[in-house]
Amino acid sequence: MRLLHGVGEVSVASEPAGDQQQREELEEEQRQVSEAQQGNLDAMRPILERYARPLYGTVILPRLGDTASAEEVLRDTLATAVEKIRRFTWQGKSIYPWLRQIAINKVYDVHRQSKRSRRLADAMVHEVPVESDPQSHADAQLIADQERRAHRERIEVTMAQLQERYRTAIELRLVQELPREECARRLGVTIGTFDVLLFRAVRAFRKHFGERTAPGDFLGEHTSEERPS
Amino acid sequence: MATDDDDILTGLVPDPDAEPTAAERAHAKTFAELVDKTLSGRTPPAMSADDRALLEVATVIRATSGGLPLAPAKQRDLIEDVLRQAVGVGGGAGTGTSSGAMPGVVPIERARARRWAPWIVAGASTLVAAAAVVTLWLRTPSRPSAPAPPVARAVPASWTSRPTDPLIGPIPRERAGDAGARIDYIFADRLDGFRERRWSPGEPGSRGGKR
Repeated sequence: MRLLHGVGEVSVASEPAGDQQQREELEEEQRQVSEAQQGNLDAMRPILERYARPLYGTVILPRLGDTASAEEVLRDTLATAVEKIRRFTWQGKSIYPWLRQIAINKVYDVHRQSKRSRRLADAMVHEVPVESDPQSHADAQLIADQERRAHRERIEVTMAQLQERYRTAIELRLVQELPREECARRLGVTIGTFDVLLFRAVRAFRKHFGERTAPGDFLGEHTSEERPS
Repeated sequence: MATDDDDILTGLVPDPDAEPTAAERAHAKTFAELVDKTLSGRTPPAMSADDRALLEVATVIRATSGGLPLAPAKQRDLIEDVLRQAVGVGGGAGTGTSSGAMPGVVPIERARARRWAPWIVAGASTLVAAAAVVTLWLRTPSRPSAPAPPVARAVPASWTSRPTDPLIGPIPRERAGDAGARIDYIFADRLDGFRERRWSPGEPGSRGGKR
């Protein structure tokens, strides 16, 4: 049973564009970066508009699990990118990996400040490679898609470990986002019983979700990368 | 089967068919209501650490399934806010400015100048205030730490307090009853001194020249 497929995509295009178009997009991005580095911050606007959603949907929110915090981290990420754009060195590929690393560092800072046991964060640490094919002109799209697939696979692997009724409860309530009454009706139980099912299902999910990851892996995530923030 | 409500995050999770305790039912209902509010975009800011941890898991599942994209308006506000802050204009979330409506973002050099402008004004104001204080301090007559002894001024005897003996002299017994005349004499003498001082030009308390 493959859950989660077919449910809305984050906005980075899934269809690969033609090489010519990708090359033009990359050249345009390089020009925008260059302008921004020369002091025209308005040139950053298209870059921020292009990458805000994939940063939020595939990098930040899956690692935080809290929309308010995720929005704050996104804001900090974009602000840091604008502030430190002069430090960015164009290497013939998209600026997205640089932005992504800033975002991951910000998420790391949030977790470090909270000082809470973050099984969730630890679980999301096993990342897709940050570096993509340097010859490709679609780095951002590839990385975002790859990261999204990795997250989904982890969710699916964890869901497969749950008992059928727990899996169904999560699918109905959190993926399809059906009302509690409808979820209870479909499962043939009372609302109170469904509440207990969902409660246990999320607890079970959380336990399984973090089991494959050693605690502290999250801390090592950014060590091999330039830390722009 | 009893649940381990004391250790929600790490305790064993009962089977789906296990009978819940009253405590578990209550906690499950609380969590269900939290999920309700979160799904409708009204996540309460305050909740227990256990509930928050479970809610984060629920949010991750939703986000990974594509259920929580960043709203276009929110994205626009965030970007506008970031760019405004970058040029030192300030601003805050929720400005609602459309992407193309914002005036052209100024170059970073001018933005930096704008950022320093308040500090330059504040520094200049501080310098002016300091100069004013120094000027006032220099112009203020220095006060001796201890009061100086009064210096006797050379003033006419008629201005000073003095005995009446030189004026009246010894009073013979037969003139003892003329006290009224003597008082009038003394009064006239003192009045002369008073007038002289009162109308003397340049003297403190005098009304010189307005006679």
